[in-house]
Amino acid sequence: MATAPSGTHNFKVVLLGEGCVGKTSLLLRYIEDKFNDKHLTTLQATFLNKRLNINGKRVNLSIWDTAGQEKFHALGPIYYRNSNGAILVYDITDEDSFGKVKNWVKELKKMLGSDIVLTIAGNKIDLEHERTVPLEEAESYANMVGAQHFYTSAKLNQGVEELFLDLTRTMIERYEQNAQTDVNRTSQVVVVDDEAPQTQSSCCSGNRSN
Amino acid sequence: MWFGPNLQRSYKYMMFASKMPSLRIDQSDLKCKNGCDYFGNPQWQGYCSKCHREQMQRQRKAEKESSATLPKPEQKKPERGLRIPSHSSFSKFEEKRLRQSETLKKANLLKFSVFKKSSTDDHDHSAEKRPPEFKIPGIVNEGMKRDFRTRFPQLGPAVDRDSRLFVHSFIMDVIKCANVLSVDELSERVQRQYQRFMKHMDTSSHFANVEADTKELLMDFVEKHAMTYLHELPSVVFSPSGTDDERLDRAMSERIQQLSWVGERHLECKLDRNNPDCRQLLYKAISELLGMDSALSPGDKLSRVRRCCRHVLRLCSAAPASADDLLPALIFTVLKANPPRLVSNINFVTRFCNAQRLMTGEGGYYFTNLCCAVSFIENLTAESLNMDKKEFDCYMAMPASIGGSAWAAALSLCGAVREADEQRAHAQKLLTHTHNIHTRAEQLAANAQSFEEQIAKKVQDVLTKTPLEIKPRRELPRLGNLKEINTAPLIDLGTTTAQEEPQTKPEVTPEPLAATLLPTESTEPNITIQPETEPKLNILGFEVIERQSPSKSPQNLDQTWDLKQTSSLELLTPSPLGFTPFDSRSIDELMTPDEFGTDQLPPGLSNINYDIDLSDFSGDNSIAEEAPKSEPKDPFSPEALRKITTFDPFAPQTSKGFETALDSFDEFSFVDQRKQETDPFEVVHRGQDPFSPVELSKDPFFAPEKQSTSILDDNDTPATACLLPSPIQPQSSNKPT
Repeated sequence: MATAPSGTHNFKVVLLGEGCVGKTSLLLRYIEDKFNDKHLTTLQATFLNKRLNINGKRVNLSIWDTAGQEKFHALGPIYYRNSNGAILVYDITDEDSFGKVKNWVKELKKMLGSDIVLTIAGNKIDLEHERTVPLEEAESYANMVGAQHFYTSAKLNQGVEELFLDLTRTMIERYEQNAQTDVNRTSQVVVVDDEAPQTQSSCCSGNRSN
Repeated sequence: MWFGPNLQRSYKYMMFASKMPSLRIDQSDLKCKNGCDYFGNPQWQGYCSKCHREQMQRQRKAEKESSATLPKPEQKKPERGLRIPSHSSFSKFEEKRLRQSETLKKANLLKFSVFKKSSTDDHDHSAEKRPPEFKIPGIVNEGMKRDFRTRFPQLGPAVDRDSRLFVHSFIMDVIKCANVLSVDELSERVQRQYQRFMKHMDTSSHFANVEADTKELLMDFVEKHAMTYLHELPSVVFSPSGTDDERLDRAMSERIQQLSWVGERHLECKLDRNNPDCRQLLYKAISELLGMDSALSPGDKLSRVRRCCRHVLRLCSAAPASADDLLPALIFTVLKANPPRLVSNINFVTRFCNAQRLMTGEGGYYFTNLCCAVSFIENLTAESLNMDKKEFDCYMAMPASIGGSAWAAALSLCGAVREADEQRAHAQKLLTHTHNIHTRAEQLAANAQSFEEQIAKKVQDVLTKTPLEIKPRRELPRLGNLKEINTAPLIDLGTTTAQEEPQTKPEVTPEPLAATLLPTESTEPNITIQPETEPKLNILGFEVIERQSPSKSPQNLDQTWDLKQTSSLELLTPSPLGFTPFDSRSIDELMTPDEFGTDQLPPGLSNINYDIDLSDFSGDNSIAEEAPKSEPKDPFSPEALRKITTFDPFAPQTSKGFETALDSFDEFSFVDQRKQETDPFEVVHRGQDPFSPVELSKDPFFAPEKQSTSILDDNDTPATACLLPSPIQPQSSNKPT
């Protein structure tokens, strides 16, 4: 799943986080290296591909933006199933958004276990003076759940590149670890494949009970 | 489990359920459920046989109705219609109108196909156990071949064959397993097939030169063709037997109808239905979404969804559209589109699309969003719309068509607008086309004009560069030279001719020159008039015309000769054409001129005629061959004397005799000879130049023409031929003068 036939790594990365924490801006900054205060560009920033070459390994990152509104929270599993990495974005000026991140982490751990590489990003550090999420708390939490933590500013283009690079490296490592236990790996692939229809049918089963 | 709720489910589902192991049965359950005293049977849902049959029939009927009118809301919620009967008729009308305008003709077709499809499904299901006899039609193979050639022209036949083989085995495998495996197992198997093919592409030598991107395209290609065929088979991969897909489709459709009142403000997406652009985009998105059902392969369906989402993204154009904007707008679109067989389509893609692409590609992303939208709609509550629970319930209880009518109207407008746009675009195209044609026509006209001018200019240039006068000048000196050179023989001829006159007349006349006789007659009078002017012209001597004119010597004999000579010169060009008929006639003419001469013309004229003949004859003889000349000369001289005494009788005889002798000569040869002849004669004339100037004045030539025309009626078309060239000479003579 994570590898294309040619040996290129195909990784799926989801951007999760509450609305207005800057997921889209991060993505835009990374892919296009542009930040638009007024959001005037007509470019869509929901799904973007990025090709990387890390240590001679070709990597194709598919980055999925997700809808962050609370009412769509329940749709999370549909978005992040089969993803190799997740970037959990919160706004350092908004404590609620950090709470959301904690929720996401819990959910992801439950659904995908250790298959998914987690990265937590504290965005909007250009608004440092309005910070409400304590720096220590965030980092200690990240360590606790085994996630990388980055401070980023899409506006100032700080930490964005590093964030994605580190995530990609970790994903490659994770992938190669799994590949070493190759027999397990293939069976795992099959299992993951099966999950797709199962989760789908679970949606339907909800309807069935109606 | 299968008593209460199952009865309301599909017939198909019941059949499926009946296969389940029976539960433990109580004594009371053995009786018929209907309360009649017969025993019931679990196979008959606990009814006795009679009640069961009735029940079944009722149910089947209901099933058919509901499936036939699947998308129609008024059928779906009969209790609602009953509750508000006054609305039902209106809603029906409203719905019909909405359907017609909003969802395109395509959607109507689709609905029909839905009906057809479901009915065949039912049918198939009842005969589920029938052993499948599948044979992949050759069309599939042929279609693949063709498609392969167009899409991968750079790949070799080995790849083509491999992929076709794979598709074949793939299809057969799926069909074989379809009745044995559950859907999930089948999906798994299909996914494994994809992986197998991918591995094959990696390992096989046939694919060694194929690039990674092309491999992915090949994968799509294989998937497309296999799935397109399988899709057509009833209940194998699309809403397969043993699943709820169809029922869920219907439930989904109902649900969406029920939620038609949900507007843009409920979903917090910024859409303005008064904005025509916005309407257009929504309309396009909807039509793409509806088109998803008509696409056959998962890949095609995905690309439909992708296009739909692109339109939706443009809908929320306020920002660089993020997922936060996309999802609500997509939900709204799905609500307004109510795509047919939505759940079936989604399940089909999820199960049988190549998982790799579904998870990573752009299409996969949008498809996931669609799944989210559908999931959201399924689980939609008052909370998720941020509205009061009571209000929500109230809306839900409302007849389906009311809420959406505003948007429906807007969208129906869209349909009309789009049609108008298409028409306009078409008209525009036609207009530009005609405009093109116009401009090209004008261009052509301009071209023609310029070409004409160009040609005229060129002609003008050529004319200015090479004036017409030059040519005649060039010719003339030549002739003059030649004539000058050959002076000697002429003198002899001149002497001979004088003697021979009478004899030659008949001989010459039969020859083509007969025509010239007549002109000479005309010239004679002129000649007599004009001798005075000649000497001046003689100085100019070079010009043939002058010489010709002088050739008409004061003496009749000389004149005739000259004339003949000139005429012969002239004849040189036209002779090959004009000559032959002339000869044939000549004999008759011979007689006629003589007779005419005697009868009609004054005696002097007739004599003149004969003189002319003589000159011709003498010319012929002299030039043709020396030997014949010498021979005839001698006899002629005496004969001529005799003839003078007796004109008519001798002339014909001698002429005939000569003719036979002369016949051996070709007319052409004569002509050639004449050329030579002319020269000598002319020389002679030069000597006699004083006379020639008389002729220089064109008058003699014009005169002959007139006469010739008059004579033409009698005999001589050739005469005209002879005369025609002559005018050139006079002209040239004019110019120098």
